[in-house]
Amino acid sequence: MPMPPTTAPRRRATLLVVALVAWVLGTALGTTTEGATARATPFLQLEQARAGYVPALDGSTPIFILVLGSDARPGEEIAGQRADSIHVVAINPAKHRATIVGFPRDSWVEIPGYGTNKINAAMPAGGPELVVKTVESLLGVRMDYWALTWFDGFRAMIDDIGGLTVDVPFDVHDSYSRADLSAGLQTLDGRDALAFARARHALPTGDFGRSENQGLLLVSALAQFRKEFAKDPSRLLDWVGAGLRNMRTDVPLDQVLRLAFTASTLNPKKVTNVVLPGGTGMAGGTSVVNLDRTALQAIAADLADDGLLSKANIPPSPNASLLGG
Amino acid sequence: MLVLAGVGLFLVLGRGGGGGIPILGGGRSDEVPAFDFVVRKARAVPTAEGADAKSLTEDADAVAKELTPILDDLFTTAFLDPGAWGDGDYAAVWERFTADARPSAEQSVETLTLGASAGDVYESVTPKRGVLSYEVLFDADGAPASVVATFSFSALGARTDGTYTAIVSSGQLFLGNPGDWRITAFEVRRDDRTARPPASPTPSPTT
Repeated sequence: MPMPPTTAPRRRATLLVVALVAWVLGTALGTTTEGATARATPFLQLEQARAGYVPALDGSTPIFILVLGSDARPGEEIAGQRADSIHVVAINPAKHRATIVGFPRDSWVEIPGYGTNKINAAMPAGGPELVVKTVESLLGVRMDYWALTWFDGFRAMIDDIGGLTVDVPFDVHDSYSRADLSAGLQTLDGRDALAFARARHALPTGDFGRSENQGLLLVSALAQFRKEFAKDPSRLLDWVGAGLRNMRTDVPLDQVLRLAFTASTLNPKKVTNVVLPGGTGMAGGTSVVNLDRTALQAIAADLADDGLLSKANIPPSPNASLLGG
Repeated sequence: MLVLAGVGLFLVLGRGGGGGIPILGGGRSDEVPAFDFVVRKARAVPTAEGADAKSLTEDADAVAKELTPILDDLFTTAFLDPGAWGDGDYAAVWERFTADARPSAEQSVETLTLGASAGDVYESVTPKRGVLSYEVLFDADGAPASVVATFSFSALGARTDGTYTAIVSSGQLFLGNPGDWRITAFEVRRDDRTARPPASPTPSPTT
């Protein structure tokens, strides 16, 4: 069996490499002189400093963004299909925190001007603007912006940023969405991220659990963005470009940049991800979700002033049985 | 005699030559050293649905050509122009920042420039190396909207006490407001180190 190398030669080699690198760097900076190496003049660090500024939003007024996922398949009109993924993202810039509230797609609600229907029917009836109005009337909170993506857009978005690192909380094997994921931290490509976002048949609470997983993808994206931004701020433009190429939104570009800078200041561990609770029922022969009105009112009232939820108003996770909680 | 001649030559060349760096001190020159960044790349980041970055490459290059002289001037004022650092007057640098970013920039004077009291510390500063790369974000209509300039800059400062400092700055500048480009955000690091005197014409050894 070969003997492992002793540490002494390794240390000598390391020192040699360090010395060589220092010499090369010194030469590159033009700081060496002929024969100076023999003097072994030390390079002293005189100043090591950082300066930074990002134009993040900093007010205590929360920002509400309605994030929608269209059911549109390739070739279909994106805003003309049902919005099967509906989340309100509330950002509190001053506290560097946020809340994500998922709406079950079958929520039986009043759609302004269109009577009562499933919430996902609002988009084909009146585009993202009507979904905004519907959510605003439910929550009593004004949405500042909306953003809409679709299957291909979502997949391309994830691929354009080089994949998304997600701590998948439990095994997800769903032949309908083609999700085949084991629990654990992993980097998902666009296809797998989309499959995870779509999977509901493998979840005990179906669309409720799926909505929470979609929120988890948003939190994971925030965590990854922050990490990449800290390492290389120029990544911000790559993320903005990947997002805008693959979504439709009413957020002006300068505000998108400002929101991206704001996102760099948010703590992903301080993002609360919830799904509106409710129970299934029937309406006119259709299976629907009857939202828990008491919980809805409490969550809406709590969100309105600062975009944050107090612990008392955080509903149980729909995936609790899978999470062991 | 040869020794005296050699010493005389050393003093003359040392003060006037060698890239304008006085070896033995003797008053600050008002001369502003020439400096130009080398541009490594300019990359386009489109935002239009289905847009192709390659189709915007030439536009990204054009933005780089527009911005580089601006950044040349910015770094010249911040580090190289004795008229600015001699008095710690960096007003022309701060003007390049947006109103929002300017207060933070001014508070970071010691990191973003040669320093408020550089006139007491340095005799001269000579540029060594400047490299830039750009990422240019285009709006949905294909017009430039925002730019990140990633830079590394180094210079050699001759101090009044006869020692030398390698002035090393690197980081990212976000620029917006196309046409009248302004720095909207920044992340800058300074890694100054002691340095050896520059290679300069020296007298031949007398034997």
